[in-house]
Amino acid sequence: MNLEEIIYKTLIEGDSYKTLLKGLGVTLQISLLSVALGTLLGMVICALRRSRFWAIRNIAAGYIAIVRGSPVVLLLMLMYYVVFAGSDVSATLVAVAAFSLHMSAYTAACFYSAIHATDAMQVEAARTLGFSRWQAFTLITLPQAAQIAKGTYQSTIVTLIQWTSVAGYVTITDLTRVVNNIGSRTMQPLFMILVGLLLYLGMAYICYGAFALADKISLWRKKRRRTA
Amino acid sequence: MSMIRVENLSKAFGSLQVLKNVNLTVEKGERIVIIGGSGCGKSVFLRCMDLLEIPDEGSVFIGENELTSRKADLNRIRRKVGMVYQGFHLFSHMNVLDNITLAPIKLLGLSRAEAEKKAETLLSMVGLESKKYSMPEVLSGGQKQRIAIVRCLAMEPEVMLFDEPTSALDPTMVGEVLATLRLLAKQGMTMVIVTHEMDFAREIATRILYLDEQGIYEEGTPKEIFDAPKKKKTRDFIHKMKYFSWQIESRDFDLMQMQGNIRSFAQRYGLDEKKANRLQLCTEELIYEMLNYGRPGEVVDMQVQISFDERDKCTVVGLRCKGGPYNPFEMAADDEVHLGVTILKHTAKRLDYRFDGENNYLEIEL
Repeated sequence: MNLEEIIYKTLIEGDSYKTLLKGLGVTLQISLLSVALGTLLGMVICALRRSRFWAIRNIAAGYIAIVRGSPVVLLLMLMYYVVFAGSDVSATLVAVAAFSLHMSAYTAACFYSAIHATDAMQVEAARTLGFSRWQAFTLITLPQAAQIAKGTYQSTIVTLIQWTSVAGYVTITDLTRVVNNIGSRTMQPLFMILVGLLLYLGMAYICYGAFALADKISLWRKKRRRTA
Repeated sequence: MSMIRVENLSKAFGSLQVLKNVNLTVEKGERIVIIGGSGCGKSVFLRCMDLLEIPDEGSVFIGENELTSRKADLNRIRRKVGMVYQGFHLFSHMNVLDNITLAPIKLLGLSRAEAEKKAETLLSMVGLESKKYSMPEVLSGGQKQRIAIVRCLAMEPEVMLFDEPTSALDPTMVGEVLATLRLLAKQGMTMVIVTHEMDFAREIATRILYLDEQGIYEEGTPKEIFDAPKKKKTRDFIHKMKYFSWQIESRDFDLMQMQGNIRSFAQRYGLDEKKANRLQLCTEELIYEMLNYGRPGEVVDMQVQISFDERDKCTVVGLRCKGGPYNPFEMAADDEVHLGVTILKHTAKRLDYRFDGENNYLEIEL
């Protein structure tokens, strides 16, 4: 069989590409929702981790340690077969919940260490100028912490997209599941695995690209303001 | 109306009492320089004036507002007080211009154009207008510190606090920062400065505070503090006094050990060979004169005290000797028995003798 035949058989025949795109859609949907929710939750956990109260600080630290320390698959199965067992929440939403928890623990740790790495004396300097605690945080700490966190944060996102490939464990037909199905149905597993790899790789690079683009834009805006 | 008023301020860190019942009033236009040894609480005292350290007791007033009051609008009061740190602490993610204009725009409601115009005027005052688009990391320490000062000035403070503004700079850059401070002084800015630059302190201060023993140990004009400090610790600090003392409890005390220690004392503070020898010789003559001809009694109780003034480079040897009165310096200069005295009379610049009913006190200046 030559390449054209393989492509026809796996991707075209019986509108397989539509199934493939649908799987990709599910993966993207789970990933995007989990990144968004996980990041928001991560910010909250990070704020709790920085609380002035000993108990709250430690509860947050414990949450981060436990969730980061447990495999995503087990977290996912725990959510699906125990927490949401018997409820009519869709499997996709359960997956989003599980991946969001996973994402939140990683982003909380990432944000926390980034904030920790900023210079507290610059905040104090801002306070002496008359800025409130909140203003000093948003104007000084946050932009600097964001810069520090960016690298780790984007690789956390890419890792999460890859982790969603275990969604098949709880009956979800995501990209990995579709790739696997078509592969076994057409007896072309190797080709389909390569297709799957390329698609995940594509998503990762779109993510990296988006960050690089955001960097370029902010740099360009800075330059424009300087010449204006 | 005073600019800053500190009343009964106390501050401790754990069991370490740093400041106790300190009072200070800073009037408008005054330039106060705070000096003192490391760990004497001068930085803590300065930081309390902007409530960067919370005092355990006492109150701080800026103008008529009490900073330490629970109801105080801290952020508003702090606008009037500029703070310059040893480590500059410029906002590292912003260029120079943004560092300076951030607070005036966000807090005083200036437009960007107004704030930038003001920033440029201030920058040209310190000679750094060309650096307005630079990021802090490319600037030298001296440049950073001048920008930090300008950042404060942009808020038009009524008083400025300086916490060792030149201590983190290498010597070539100290001058440019001090020049900026002089400029502020000329403009009548009220300043409180913590510094180790004594010559600068003498030049710029209207009042010097020497901090020790958990408070203001001595205060006065630069002339009073530097030329005629009244209290011992101030004098020790100003003259960078170094002390050596040695107790003698018997006639056959260990002379070699004492001489060895005097030698290393002399070396440590940079006395040259000739001076060290003279110091050793004179100390020895002084001791043996008193042991042989004085009346130390059965139990010998003598104490040698050598003090070295690192500022004026002069050495004083003191000897306390318990026993009946005996003044060796009354001997004729050419007495052959008391050859030691003759030597001392020839080498010392000053010889003093005192008896208080129990102890003889001899003092010679070399």
